Amino acid sequence: MRKFRFMAPAMVAVLVLAACGNGDDPGDGDGEVAEGDGAIVVTSLWGGTEQEAFEAVLAAFTEETGIEAEYEANRTDYETVLRTRIQGGNPPDVAIIPGIGNVRSLARDGSLIPMSELGIAQSDIEGNYAPGILDVGVVDDELYGIMVKLNSKSTIFYSPERFAEMGVEPATTWDELVQLTEDIKAAGSTPWAIGAGADSEWTLTDWFEVTYLKMHGTEAYDALFSPDGDWTDQTVVDTISKVLEIVNEDNVAGGINGALQTAFVDAVGLVFGSSPSAELYYGGGFVGGIATGEDVNPELQGQEGEAIDWFDFPTIDGNGAGLVTYGGDVMAALVADSDVAEFMEYLTTAEAGQVWAEGGTIISPIVEVDTSVYPTVLIQQEAEQVTSAEAVRFDGADLMPPEPSLGFLLQDAIRGEDLGALLEEFQTQMSNAWAQE
Amino acid sequence: MTALQDTTVGARPRTASERIVKWISRAPVHIILGLIGLVWLVPTIGLFVTSFRPSADMRATGWWTVLLEPRFTTSSYERVLEAEGMGQAFLNSVFITVPSTLAPLVIACMAAFALAWVKFPFRDTIFLVIIGLMMVPVQIGFIPLVTGFSQTGLLTNYGAVWLAHAAYALPFGIFLLRNFFITLPKDLIEAARIDGASNWGIFRTIVVPLSVPAIAAYGIFQFLWVWNDLLMALVYAQRNAIQPMTVKVTTLLGTYATEWSLLAAAAFLIMVVPVIVFISLQRYFVQGLLAGSVK
Amino acid sequence: MAVGTPPGAVAPQPQRAKVAGAGFSWAAALFLAPATFLLAVFLVFPAVYTVFLSFNRGRGGQFTEWVGFDNFLRLFTQDPNFLRLGFPPSGALWNNLLWLIVYTSLCVLFGLIIAVMATRVRYEALIKGIVFLPMAIAPAAIAIMWRFVYASDSNTGLLNALLGNVGAGPISLLGNPDTVNWAVIAVGIWGSVGFATVILSAAIKGISSEVLEAARMDGASETQIFWRVIVPMVSLPISVVAVTLVVNVIKLFDLIYVMTSGGPGTSSRVIAFSMYVDAFESGLYGYGAAIAIVMLALLIPIMAFNVKRFRTEAVQQ
Repeated sequence: MRKFRFMAPAMVAVLVLAACGNGDDPGDGDGEVAEGDGAIVVTSLWGGTEQEAFEAVLAAFTEETGIEAEYEANRTDYETVLRTRIQGGNPPDVAIIPGIGNVRSLARDGSLIPMSELGIAQSDIEGNYAPGILDVGVVDDELYGIMVKLNSKSTIFYSPERFAEMGVEPATTWDELVQLTEDIKAAGSTPWAIGAGADSEWTLTDWFEVTYLKMHGTEAYDALFSPDGDWTDQTVVDTISKVLEIVNEDNVAGGINGALQTAFVDAVGLVFGSSPSAELYYGGGFVGGIATGEDVNPELQGQEGEAIDWFDFPTIDGNGAGLVTYGGDVMAALVADSDVAEFMEYLTTAEAGQVWAEGGTIISPIVEVDTSVYPTVLIQQEAEQVTSAEAVRFDGADLMPPEPSLGFLLQDAIRGEDLGALLEEFQTQMSNAWAQE
Repeated sequence: MTALQDTTVGARPRTASERIVKWISRAPVHIILGLIGLVWLVPTIGLFVTSFRPSADMRATGWWTVLLEPRFTTSSYERVLEAEGMGQAFLNSVFITVPSTLAPLVIACMAAFALAWVKFPFRDTIFLVIIGLMMVPVQIGFIPLVTGFSQTGLLTNYGAVWLAHAAYALPFGIFLLRNFFITLPKDLIEAARIDGASNWGIFRTIVVPLSVPAIAAYGIFQFLWVWNDLLMALVYAQRNAIQPMTVKVTTLLGTYATEWSLLAAAAFLIMVVPVIVFISLQRYFVQGLLAGSVK
Repeated sequence: MAVGTPPGAVAPQPQRAKVAGAGFSWAAALFLAPATFLLAVFLVFPAVYTVFLSFNRGRGGQFTEWVGFDNFLRLFTQDPNFLRLGFPPSGALWNNLLWLIVYTSLCVLFGLIIAVMATRVRYEALIKGIVFLPMAIAPAAIAIMWRFVYASDSNTGLLNALLGNVGAGPISLLGNPDTVNWAVIAVGIWGSVGFATVILSAAIKGISSEVLEAARMDGASETQIFWRVIVPMVSLPISVVAVTLVVNVIKLFDLIYVMTSGGPGTSSRVIAFSMYVDAFESGLYGYGAAIAIVMLALLIPIMAFNVKRFRTEAVQQ
């Protein structure tokens, strides 16, 4: 420790420079990218089966280009670790950026490298993707983030075997869904498992978004999740009330308190684990991979369609057929060099999409990937749902600034707090947050 | 004699019946203290027991049933040490704590000596400033230091956290030690000066040896503080491989929120060393506390 | 642009003014050098940096855009997570206030009571040791220990198991925004009473037994003796303990981070937690710096108090 004393003058000088300087200079915008050193570091918050699937993609990349790609997972506090690394001048080369609000924030901070600087023009790759998908990663007319994987968020998971035992069938309309809930209770089981506890409050935002989209359509949806959104509008109140028709004390495993204490993976386990206690789990298509993965119940592998399946989120009062909400992850570059450019390009190819798709947890946004490569029937169906949808909409909560949290609002709502007051305050905070961006 | 070992005051009862009467009149006190003892011990015991229970048991029944059906295993510890990386985290805790204790100890001793026994201008002002600095919260340094450490490459090794801990521990250490140093016999030091001893000589041969209790107290204080710290490590130890147990356990909590056997084992691994240090050296610790707080 | 300089910024002047003249001591300079270096580089300079950053937008931790008092204004008027003046008020700052009042007074009160009761029994050292033991345990570990106790399943959580035995339903103290703060404060008290007990016990022993005997002979009950004799006579140690606890409250982080992550929602946040989250998770560095300055401002009165107390004592020497 004594040797650090000799670094004194250097340290002081560095600190002074840090104060005056402008952080890392990402390089000129003249298209000339610096030479890489043959290795890149990619970070995300994926673990378990999602991680395995991604590492297969990295391996394929290394095989093709000879560039080493190391994956670092930060399962908890991902945003914090990422930002601290960036702020400390030590960012990973490539990172998943969770939440488009963060993409905007980081892009405007100057921490993300626009794709154009890496030699990738949006117009060149636009054809690889379904319309609108790439636009999600655009900030101030520059493409920063490329959608690398997505999952439908309009899927309700159940066990066909147990349904047969109970003598019930999947629902196609909201009223049928409510009836299904009652029937399951009559058959002696708990209908719904919900994981809305700490770090899992986003599951509630999924409920809200799909219900809102189905009830009020794409224009209202787009308006709500934009700087012009009005959260005190009656449509919002109606949506939350609708959700509460199902998400309430009587229908949810453990009651509302239980739901607020359960993490999302555990809730999946309540339906698909070795001793299930609930029958329905609404969530993203990735639930299938998680339910059959080592975190929940690997024995279900191979039984897709029999012991585990999903049905479309129902239409509501005749509205919403063909409308699908989806969630996805966007990958951005934080360092500008040739290795990173090659990696980002690789991710836009059908080959990368296919390797990733074979991992069985996600759907590739790249249109050339044939649905037959998906390993299970669940995911094939999911891919078909997304590609044949009339319109798809990205997870609204992820589009907005991360604070105030819609998830927290919904937690309070299902707890029974005064909706009017909650929404008013949320609207004030949200418009401030949009203004601050 | 430690504060904890002081004997009670009051006339001792002489006969057996007097003793019984006194005991009964004290019954409410005994009951209350007994309850207090329980409240303060049971959570720790519960955690300890749980760390040795098989996961299946832990999910099914409460840890208190272990009295009826003892079934123990060390599998949680094995798993948490190996597969979950607490073993490495334990070593990290050691690697972080030891230098973060020794460095400020030495540096504070030196500074305190100068402030106590060497005459120079503005001495008292400087000391008052240091007292003031004791209250500066660590948050004040986070943002600039993270940038600075990262740019000098210290954020991904122990350097950042060592330096940060050392710096923020100094005001209190200097305060404590200087207050102790000035209670040393003035004549002894004067005599040594007259004999021609240098300041360093006086420091080394008189002040330090005579101040072992205070130095030990500060050392133990600092050791416990750093070992048990979470926030500084979270901010200044930015690589998974160097994170101490406190940070590691919060990661585990995120992944295994209800695997209490595992979490209990992890929590106990954090507790073991400080509790041993504390129990065996509590004398110094308490003295240090008292010296720092009460005059 | 002139801003009041924080106390920390004053430090370099006298320290570096080791002007050559009568009394300047090379020895002193050498002995003080390492400490001076560390304090200046890692404490004082960053403090000044952070002060300036708090008046800035602070993108990426750099000085990108001067915003004046905007961060502070927003903090106090537009951030319900930090402070919401309503009825009842809420927010991180409010939670700290709650802690300040409840945690501090109960730690002192329980500390005194336990200290007094312990003097009456032979196992005094043991009971004080038991109560003091949590001081050696990391707040992160204490948080896990008590999350376990508070677990809402009565097969896991001790509290709910006990409640179940008397027929009360399982409650989720940590999952309910109305109870979470009290639940965590209780844990905080659990962890810190030992500190109060030990210090106050030593102080109480300093009360001459004659005074106590005289009061007893005058017919005073134990309760009266407690409130009218003991407490006034240890008022100085009580204030010392209280000040230390208040500082703990302002710096409180570890326990909240591990026990509740500031939740449910944001209902159990405290300012140190908000600083960390706003600066590092949301990247609002200027805003986070403002919170750090608020923390410093809250601690300044204590700083001044310490300095003053020491000065008067030094004069008396």
